[in-house]
Amino acid sequence: MPFIKIDEKEFEVAKGITVLQAALANGIEIPHYCFHPVLEVVGSCRMCLVQVEGMPKLQASCNTSIGEVALDKKLDGKYDMVVNTQTDAVKQERKNILEFLLLNHPLDCPVCDQAGECYLQDYTFKYGNAHSRFKEEKRVRPSESLGSNIVINQDRCILCSRCVRFTREISGTNELFVQNRGYHSKVSILKDKPLENLMAGNVADICPVGALLNTDYIHKNRFWNLDTIPSVCQDCSAGCNVDVFSQRDEIFRLTPRENHDVNGYFMCDIGRYGFHRFEEIERVNQPLVRNGKSFDVIDWAEAIQKTADLIEQSNGKTAGIVSPFHTNESNFLLGLMINGMLGMLPAIQAEEITYPSGFRISADRSPNQRGMNNICGGLAEDLSSEIKTQAIRGLYILDDGVDRELDDAWKEILAKMDFLIVQSYAMTDLAKLAHIVLPGLAPYEREGTITNDQDRIQWLRPSLSIKAESKPDWEILMLVNNALNKKAENFTGLDDVIIKMGEQFPNYSGITLFKIATQGIALNGKKM
Amino acid sequence: MSAFKPVLTQHIHQQDCHTLPFYQSEGGYSALEKVLTMDPEDVIDVVKNSNLRGRGGAGFPAGIKWGFLPKDMVKPTYLINNADESEPGTFKDRLLINKAPHQMLEGMLIAAYAIRCNLAFIYIRGEFYKEAEVLEKVLSEAYAANLLGKNILGSKYDLDVIVHRGAGAYICGEETALIESLEGKRGCPRLKPPFPALEGYLKCPTIVNNVETLSNLPHIINQGAEWFRSIGPEKGPGPKLYCVSGCVNSPGVFEEPMGTSLKKLIYENAGGIKNGNQLKAVLPGGSSSAILTAEEAVVLNMDFDSLMDAKTMLGSAGIIVMDDTVDMVQACLNIARFYAHESCGQCTPCREGTTWLVKMLTRMVQGGGTAGDIKMLYEITDNIGGLIDFSKGSFGKTICPFGEAVAWPVRSFVEKFEAEFINYIPQQETVA
Repeated sequence: MPFIKIDEKEFEVAKGITVLQAALANGIEIPHYCFHPVLEVVGSCRMCLVQVEGMPKLQASCNTSIGEVALDKKLDGKYDMVVNTQTDAVKQERKNILEFLLLNHPLDCPVCDQAGECYLQDYTFKYGNAHSRFKEEKRVRPSESLGSNIVINQDRCILCSRCVRFTREISGTNELFVQNRGYHSKVSILKDKPLENLMAGNVADICPVGALLNTDYIHKNRFWNLDTIPSVCQDCSAGCNVDVFSQRDEIFRLTPRENHDVNGYFMCDIGRYGFHRFEEIERVNQPLVRNGKSFDVIDWAEAIQKTADLIEQSNGKTAGIVSPFHTNESNFLLGLMINGMLGMLPAIQAEEITYPSGFRISADRSPNQRGMNNICGGLAEDLSSEIKTQAIRGLYILDDGVDRELDDAWKEILAKMDFLIVQSYAMTDLAKLAHIVLPGLAPYEREGTITNDQDRIQWLRPSLSIKAESKPDWEILMLVNNALNKKAENFTGLDDVIIKMGEQFPNYSGITLFKIATQGIALNGKKM
Repeated sequence: MSAFKPVLTQHIHQQDCHTLPFYQSEGGYSALEKVLTMDPEDVIDVVKNSNLRGRGGAGFPAGIKWGFLPKDMVKPTYLINNADESEPGTFKDRLLINKAPHQMLEGMLIAAYAIRCNLAFIYIRGEFYKEAEVLEKVLSEAYAANLLGKNILGSKYDLDVIVHRGAGAYICGEETALIESLEGKRGCPRLKPPFPALEGYLKCPTIVNNVETLSNLPHIINQGAEWFRSIGPEKGPGPKLYCVSGCVNSPGVFEEPMGTSLKKLIYENAGGIKNGNQLKAVLPGGSSSAILTAEEAVVLNMDFDSLMDAKTMLGSAGIIVMDDTVDMVQACLNIARFYAHESCGQCTPCREGTTWLVKMLTRMVQGGGTAGDIKMLYEITDNIGGLIDFSKGSFGKTICPFGEAVAWPVRSFVEKFEAEFINYIPQQETVA
């Protein structure tokens, strides 16, 4: 392994990696624009130039790979390469490049959505000049729409070509290209082939400046106002890691969070804009009990007691409907409570999409099918016939929160039940049929663990606070369970539930939220 | 030294000199016949021994370039004849294509055989429409005579040649941009390494040689490396085509040995300065070379090393002569405008810097010059092209040498004719 020195730090690096990769991996900042870890190296921004000992001119660190040199050629007798990122020449060169990049830049940070997370802004503060020497007229170009969700502000574009390479190498859709030449270069599309693919939103994330913007977020907020919660996307079972940005209980945007065992650097637009679905939804805010054709509001204690009574009276003829949309903990507690027949509603399936880069949108559009199956062994295969043969009288349903057309067999079952208890955050079609509705939490309010289709357990963190009288789903289930069972188990938090779950399912033993952290754990220690 | 007799252009004034029968009647393709019996490595050795340096601009030794090809080749090797002649002031390759195309094709065959290539390209600039037609005719003649195609002259050696017309971009003369363009992509230079000899066309080993370089090969094979080295300076010998244009009485292409004095080329070959004016400045190697003042120019010899010592370059030997009626600021703006137009736009300094120069020079020419402009011109050119220190090699800051190609001339104009630039700055500005 080559042994190198960058500035005053010395370390061993893998043979063949570049100076820039080595520096970034070891906490040394080398400013760069066109380099992105998963995109082809083009070396065109010239921002990452460094001094490599023995080389007459500054080298683009993104394209300088590190190899081993012969023993007698080692620098200072031990180094395979010595790099300096802090010489006067390097510092001056950074100033020069930034000066060039800012020549035609409108300097409109106060109205730019990227402000606060903009590499042009940051590097200019850190490495650039305080004043411009440009006396000529700036070029002004109109912003253009590249697709239904992406616009480009041509004046802010620094032509790093990350977005162009993204559509070539990652999405494989090839919508973007550089049009014209030299000073007139601009990122563009063909009229009849706009940037419309399910990964399009990522180009705004990888844009290091404020050129590419999601129309969904333009002028909605400022970066520094937003709280960032690392969480997991809940729109398919791939389980892409995301950062959820919110302010005062309102989500403003989702961006992909780096996780090389799951989604790499990207996410799809289904997940990215999916949070809007929950904004308009008719929420259930208090426990409800049926009164003829409508519901009466009741308090929690009464609701729990009524629920327990119904289950008890059914004499073991209550089936539990678990949900691939709910956390492992909620499904586990429902299983614990029913201790009998479990089933699920028809799964929500769509087309599986795999991109040339390997990025995948799963056909299973629920986030926790795998976890639910792990935790609730022995789900009834043919639920409707099972219900008939076992003479089930009531259902406790963890509602998916997704309305779907139920087939006649299901409609028949629901009509025949003596009672339906629906735990749901939304007034779904199912909830409308319920005898008791217990208000749980919506997806971005929930906390717990979910297991993706590669058997990786991940921590779903809440980004929004609990609304009205809703309670966490696991807590509702615990309360009902305790009301049913004289041996009450007072879990004080999720971790207690997870420990209990681990006792029963060895795959999940030894897991804590702390250990799952932001990157998740491959179950059975298998590298996924 | 006995009087030099043109080699490459010896027949260009004769009738039908571009046809195969004519070329064969003058002994054409005899070098090819000789080469086909040789070991390819031996052909490379002959060319190495001749010290033939590339005539396209960079002056890299051709034999050494060929030697960079991987020894155990598993992928096919390609030869590209760079006929993208686009350096302003250069028009020698066009002459060779029009008047001695078979000489060039024979050179291609020799090179292709030496590097074990079975598919070669002629990348010709888009504007050379007529020349491309000439080449198509030449190729069909050659195919008909079994000089191309399968089993050439019964030697079991196969070679196909394809003429590919560019779309008229200056940068596509840079070999990696040329390769990108040939692959059907946007003509942007590639990052190096890897160099084309290892990863070129379709990521296969590729050699790119200039028309004039290739045209020399039949003569080197026929007359030997020693004969070639006896012409001009040892380190960069051979016959050379010089393109003299600008303020001279009879501009044109002149074949003289390497190292011919600039004075002879201007005053004898090109008939001296027009209208009896005085020589003011010379761009010796196309518009991307640093300019020479009259005093510097008249004592210089036109070869790679002499011009390098004079902090300019032989380049493509496009000698642009300027007399005392030329406004150097306007000329400088003209050059800057050309390069701003032709920048591919990949690298920040070149994309942004070239247009900055144009905007600034335009403002100066229009009377809006300010006191700091001269200093700024120095700094911007340095920031685009890097410090110019010939003793230590190129100090470029961009992916390809285009940055230097604009920085060198502009900087040299300001350096050597600073007074004219100052004249463009209004009086009150200079006092302040």
